[in-house]
Parts: sequence; structure tokens; C-alpha cells
Amino acid sequence: MSTATATAPVEPFRPGLVARAIAVFSGATGLAIKMAMLAITNAVAVWAAVVLVDHSRWIGLAVLVLATAAIDFVYLFPRRWTLPLKFLVPGTVFLLAFQIVPIIYTIQVALSNYSTGHILTKPEAIKQIKINSLEVPPNGKQYEMSPARDQDGKLVLILRQDPGGQVYVGTKNGVTPLAKSDVKVDESGVPTAAKGYKLITGAELFTLDTELQALKVPTKGDAAIEAQGVRQAVELQPTLRYDAAKNQFVRIGDGTVFADNGRGSFASVSSPKDELEPGWKTLIGLANFKKLATNPLYRDPFLRVFVWTFVYATLTVFLSFSVGLFLAIALDKKGLRGQRLYRSVVVIPYAIPGFLALLVWAGLLNDEFGVVNHILGHVGIHVPWLFDANWARVSVIMVSVWLTTPYFFLVSMGALQSIPGELTEAARVDGGGGWAIFRRVTLPLLLVAVAPLMIASFAFNFNNFGNIYLLTGGGPCSGTSSIACSTDILITYTYKLAIASGKGSDYALASAVGIVIFFIVATISGIAFWRSKSLENLA
Amino acid sequence: MQNSLKRMWASLGLLAAIAAVAASTATAAHKAVNIVIWTDSDRAAAVTKVAGDWAAKNGATVKVVTKNFGDIRDNLATVAAADAPDVITAAHDWTGKLAANGLVVPVFPSATVKKQFPSYTLNAFSYGTAVKKLYGVPVAVENIGLVVNTKLAKAPKTFSQLETEALAQKKKSHSAFGIAVQQGTGGDAYHMYPFFSGLGGYVFGTNKAGNLDPSDIGVANPAFLKNASLINKWNKEGLISSKVDDAAAKNAFLKGQAAFWITGPWNADTLKKSGLSFKVMQMPAIVKPSVPFLGVQGFMVTKFAADHGVTGAATDLVTNFMASPSAQTQLAAANFRPPANLKAHSSDPVLAQFSAASKGGVPMPNIPQMDSVWGDLGQAWVKSTKGSGATPAATAFKTAARAIADKIG
Repeated sequence: MSTATATAPVEPFRPGLVARAIAVFSGATGLAIKMAMLAITNAVAVWAAVVLVDHSRWIGLAVLVLATAAIDFVYLFPRRWTLPLKFLVPGTVFLLAFQIVPIIYTIQVALSNYSTGHILTKPEAIKQIKINSLEVPPNGKQYEMSPARDQDGKLVLILRQDPGGQVYVGTKNGVTPLAKSDVKVDESGVPTAAKGYKLITGAELFTLDTELQALKVPTKGDAAIEAQGVRQAVELQPTLRYDAAKNQFVRIGDGTVFADNGRGSFASVSSPKDELEPGWKTLIGLANFKKLATNPLYRDPFLRVFVWTFVYATLTVFLSFSVGLFLAIALDKKGLRGQRLYRSVVVIPYAIPGFLALLVWAGLLNDEFGVVNHILGHVGIHVPWLFDANWARVSVIMVSVWLTTPYFFLVSMGALQSIPGELTEAARVDGGGGWAIFRRVTLPLLLVAVAPLMIASFAFNFNNFGNIYLLTGGGPCSGTSSIACSTDILITYTYKLAIASGKGSDYALASAVGIVIFFIVATISGIAFWRSKSLENLA
Repeated sequence: MQNSLKRMWASLGLLAAIAAVAASTATAAHKAVNIVIWTDSDRAAAVTKVAGDWAAKNGATVKVVTKNFGDIRDNLATVAAADAPDVITAAHDWTGKLAANGLVVPVFPSATVKKQFPSYTLNAFSYGTAVKKLYGVPVAVENIGLVVNTKLAKAPKTFSQLETEALAQKKKSHSAFGIAVQQGTGGDAYHMYPFFSGLGGYVFGTNKAGNLDPSDIGVANPAFLKNASLINKWNKEGLISSKVDDAAAKNAFLKGQAAFWITGPWNADTLKKSGLSFKVMQMPAIVKPSVPFLGVQGFMVTKFAADHGVTGAATDLVTNFMASPSAQTQLAAANFRPPANLKAHSSDPVLAQFSAASKGGVPMPNIPQMDSVWGDLGQAWVKSTKGSGATPAATAFKTAARAIADKIG
């Protein structure tokens, strides 16, 4: 016995492929990779820190420094208690970066007035309002200009009135005429030399930007000559006056007061619809949600679109699953000739990029020129696939099913093979027919595996922007609104709301819809997962 | 153990070195005046060359960033100040939106420069709720025209001639429509505008100060509604059909199924290469002149130029250099459009014909409220010209007008 053991050829230990692959990464190579990854992480962190300092975001900087220090500690100074963290940290970082932060940002936008006319900060908006309020006064003059330095080195403007040709020197105290003979001008009238002044030329012209923008040559009243570029100057006067203490603008002409309306605009006190542009971005609380709930312009289409979205996602999932399962069972038969070929054909839609397939389908279903109607035309049928509200709904579901079926075919095929043959055999011995076995044995076991995937597919189709947008663009529109059309689902409705509503784009309102969608999908998925868990218990 | 600790500290040192490199690149400041320009891919090469000439002459540098045309407008609202452009290529109908957002600043070109441009091109870039200000310098203009296949039809003098000839060709080629004008499910208010203006429609009226008035919506004005029954007639006889999309319209004209095509200079190259004999003209008047929408493209100075301390340089580049005839010729040619500057010439005969077709045209409204118009106006046409089962035109346009007014609020 013992001799037999001793003489039996000892199989040399041969680690598996995976183990060998992992082994490659241990030791020096592994350390090098680890250091490289850490170095990249730290480099990104330092770069981010510089940017944060640039924008004076101190809280963000503190979070960044602590997080980076923690990551370095976990990987560089291993302790027993930090070991699990080595595996948890990367996932957590990505979870925070790509899930939590966008959600917080969306909520923040939904509570603001972020839309056309409300994208700057308040100080920036005030600055722009002041710039926009500058106006050429009656009989205001335009000048060709050259910046120059006087004997004391102070910045002055050599001005040549256009039209007219009179020449002046402009200082912060006002304009003084010069003798025409003292100033030389080029063919476009820009002064090139002036007696007693040193004209600034070349690259230096551009470097004195701040100084040049600050030089205002007073003329009459509030009006002043200001440089525009480096070769022209214009006489401008403000039409609005900002009162920082009272936080309001006053129109100089008629004394109209524009006060902060609390919604990111300076609005006329007497007629609140008269607002100064631009406004600024500010938090306005739940106003966007209130608008969704109470304004019939948004509320009515929302409910209609919600119902259709639900129908669309549900039908797409159930039809695709049914067809996919049917095909999987049909092609599962042992000894079927050409089984591989059939299976490959069924998965083809999965292999074509969805975006291409959708555009091709849009062409195929074209009412007048599409192949589908061309073929149907031979038997005297003409279907307005994309031009009739109900047919358009049929079309999008049909195409979505075409795109989704291969997925369910694949997962059903896999799940079917995992069902032990003994179970169906036992059922057959017990006298069950084909249908009864399918209903009572195969389907319940299959659902255990496939139900979570169906829920995921539902959530995906609930927000399947591409399918709708590329096939019908949400159309045809039959109601009174082009924002909520017959095939629009919530996400395309949101998109249209974001880019084309009222005074341009309304990102805040769209974000509010986005949050509502999030809660709807979360609720439906939650209920569905809870139900599918009970399915699991049953199995 | 000692050894491994040493290794750790060495690694930490390495990390610090890399970090220092990263930090130094992040803070690297440019000293010479540098102008960042955002432009689209068609024009990128020409802008690089023209702005490069300016930079060389003035001791500045220029960085040209290529973007999708529409992205220039959208990204400007979200870009960080550090990466923001000082100068952008823009379409005139963005003016209202960009100015209302406070992203672009007014420019004041000299009277000599202004005289070189048709006044409508300057108006197109002017915006203001109280007083209008110029926010851009025009570079190129574009508009659609009626392209006639001169082998198949005579250039029509009146609309009824156009109608007769188009329908004759439709019958001959067993086609489903007479005039190839693109709509599709999404609608296309831009390409339908000659029909719209010819029937007396307008989008926004103007107030006393001469500014566009978003509360005066002319999509279903009484004069237009009086003529709207003509749309029903066209729909019935198949003169136009909303089932025609851009590809179908192009195809029908190039294959000779339709003798008339409504399109713009972006198809001038296709037309030339097609080998067809053709002529571009303005569509004959229906009840009123059938004028097209006018589009003007140009350059704007952004608010970021001031943040970067390059206002003077950016303004100079836009108001003096880009406005000059030679720059305009190069820039317009790059995008295959006629130049805006009257002194700049396009030697292209097809572009000249498109230019001529712009006579009396209306610049697309540049106020931000226009965003609320495109979809609904386009849908009114789709609904009223979709063949059998079409909505009567008067109903469709009244619905659209109400929806637009609701959205603008």
C-alpha cells in the first residue's frame, strides 16, 4: 500500500490559468502597477486641488485632501483593520462620483431657477446689466483712437472724431482739442503719431487691457468716452444706476425702480414682468415642483405622458420576454439541425448598434418612401406608421421589442439550461403534459433568474430616450403642445422641456421632472424586487 | 521590514515628484495675450488662418477650438471661466439667448465698418429689451431659395405657374408631391417659411421701439387665416407633403421626380456635382412675397474676455479684423456661404443666385422666445399637409399659436 503510494507518479502542482494570471501581478510588477495607479490618483488630486484653490472652494479642498490622504494610507500602510477597505475604496469612490454627486446636483438644480437668463452669479449679472445699460447718447460721438502716454507716463487717448476728423486728447479729466497738424493718422483714420505724446503700439497695446478699460473720459453729464478694442472709442452713457445699499437699479431716464424680486431678477416695481437682463441663478425652493403640480400647461401633459411611458415600458418588456422565451424554448430542442445558425440569426439585432438600427427603422417605416409600406402597397394596404398617433405607438413598441428580444432570448436560453433536467423528468413521470410542465415547473424556476433582469429592463425602457427620440422624435403631435406628443415618454418630454420652453431652456424645471421620474422608477422597481423575492422563496 | 519601509518612503517621494509636475502644469500661466476662439469644423481652418494673420501682426497668440456649431451656444453657458472662449462664431438667432444670459457683450464697430454691411445683417445681431445693441459682427449670410430643374420646367414667374408645373411633373413621374420641400415627422418651420410668409404669416411683430415683441404672435394672424385655405388645397392636390423629409426631398429632385426643390447654399455643392441644369430663385409671391428666413453668421465677444483681461484684443479682432473684406471673403468661402461684407465678393455663381433669392427676407427672430415657436409652427405644417386625414390649416395654425402663447406665458 505504502509502496504503491510512494511509486505513484506525483502530479507536479500546476496552478490554474487564473491563479497564474494573478501571480504575474504580485511581487515587483504588482507593486509597480499599484504605485502607478496611486501616482495617477494623487496627480489627479493635486490637479483638482489647484483648481479648487483657484475657485476658493475650501470645503471641497478639505474633502479632497482628507480623501486622498485616506486612500494613500489604506494602500501604503496596510493594517489589519484597513484590509477590507482596500477592496471597498475604489467602488465607493466611483459610487460617490457617478451616482451620489449627480443626484445631489440634480436636486440642487431642481430647487433653483437655472434657465435661460439665469445662469450667472448675482455679482456677474450686476456687472453685465451695467455693461448692457451703456448707450450712445443723442449726438454721441465715435472716435478712431490710439492709447498713448503723456510726459508723466499717464495713460491718455488720442482721439480722432469719425466723421469730422477733429483730434483730441482724452484724459480722466476730459477731452482737450489738439491741433490737426500735430496728429498723424493712417489710412483708416487711426492716429499714428501725436506731438508731445508717446503712442503705445504693438504687443504692449493688448497688455494694458485693465488700465485701458478703466479709463473713462468724461464728457457731458454721466456720459464718457470709452475705448472699444484698441483702435476705436465711443461716447457712452449709462441708462441705469445701481444702488448697492438698496440692492436695486434705477432707470435714470424716468426713475423706474428695478428691485431684486427674490427669483433671480431685478424687476420693475410697478410692472413686475419688466425684468432687467441678465438675471442670476438662485435657489427658489419648491417652485418648480409646484409648477409641475399646479400649472395645467405642464401638469396635464405630464399625466398623459406618464401613462404612456408606463404602457410603453411594460409592453416592451413583456412582449420581448415572451418572444425571447418562445424562441429560446423553440431553439433549445436537442439535435436541432442548424441550431447555431438559428441562434445567431436571432441575436443579430443585439449586434447592430441601437442608434443605427433605429435610424434604419425610421427609414423603413417612412410613410411614403419606406420599404414596409412599399411591400404592403402590393396588397393594397397603407399604414401611416409614424404619422398617426396610435400607429406611431405601435411602431415604437414594435421596434423596441425587436431591439430587446435578443437580450431576453439570451438570458432565457441560459436560464433554461440551468433548470435541472430531473425536475421536468419527474414532472413528466407524474403525468404532466408539456404545457403543465412549462407553467408549473419551467416558468417559475425561470422567473427566479429572469425577473430581476425584467425589472432592470423595465427601468431601462422607462427612460429609453434613444428609441423614442430617434424613431419618432416623440411625434406625431396631436394635442395643443409640441412638448408632449403622442409617443413622448417622460425622459423625451423632459428633454424637450429643458431645451425648448418659454424663454429658451429651463434646466431647473427639467431637473424637477427628472427627480419625479427617479422616484417613480425607484418605487416601481422597489415593489417589483420585493415581489420577485417572494418568487424566490416559492422556488 | 526595514527594507520595505524604505521602499515605501521612496515611493512616497516618487508620488510627490509626479504631483509637483501635475501642479506646475495646472498653474502654468500664459504671458502673451492669448485669444481663445470657438468655431465649427467647417470654418476652423479659415479662422485659424485669418486670426493667425491678426495675431502675427499684433504680437498676440490665438487658440482655435473646434466644436459642433450648436455646442458653441450651449457650452458657453456651462464652461468654466478658465476654459472659456473670448470670441465665438455664432448664428445671429442665438443673440437674444446669449445676451439674456449675459454671456456676450455689445460691440461698437466704427461707422466706416458698419457702412460695409447691409443693415439687416447688423439688425440680426442686435438685441435688447429696451434699447437694441449690436452683439456681433456678421460674416456670412444664408437663406433658402427655390431650385428649378430647368430641363423639366420653366422658371416660374407666378405662384400659379409654379403650382401648374410642379403638379404636371408630379403626374408625369407618378410622384407623391409636387414641390420637394422637407418636413418629416418633426416638422420644419424654417423650410416652410416662404409658404408661410407668402400667405401673410409672421412670427413676432415689432413694438414701437422697433424691437421684436414676443406678445405679438402672428402665427395665426387674421390675414394669414384668410389665405390658409390654400394650404388645404395644396394638401389635397399633393403640391406639398409633410411626409417628405430632407433625404426624400433631395432624392426626388436629384432623380428628376420633382422639378422644384426648396433648399439652401449647404446643398450648392451637391447641386453642382449633380450635373442637372438648374437655377436658384426666390419662390414667386403667393398672396404676399414669399420671402425666406435669413440666417446670418458672425463673431461675438464673450463676457469672459474681460475676465481674461483681453477685452481690447478680442474686440479689435472682431470689430476690425474679422469685419474686413479680405477676412470675410476667406471665412465665408470656408463655409460655402456668401460673405456679409458688401465689399467682399463671392465669385461663386450658385451662391450669387442664392443671395439674390434673399430679397426682402426676414432675419430669423433672435429673441430667446423663438425656442417656443419652432416646434409648434413646424407641427402646424405637418398636421395640415400630411395628405388624407390632415387637420384643416386654420385649425392647425390656431392651435399652434395658442400653444406658443401658452409657453411664452
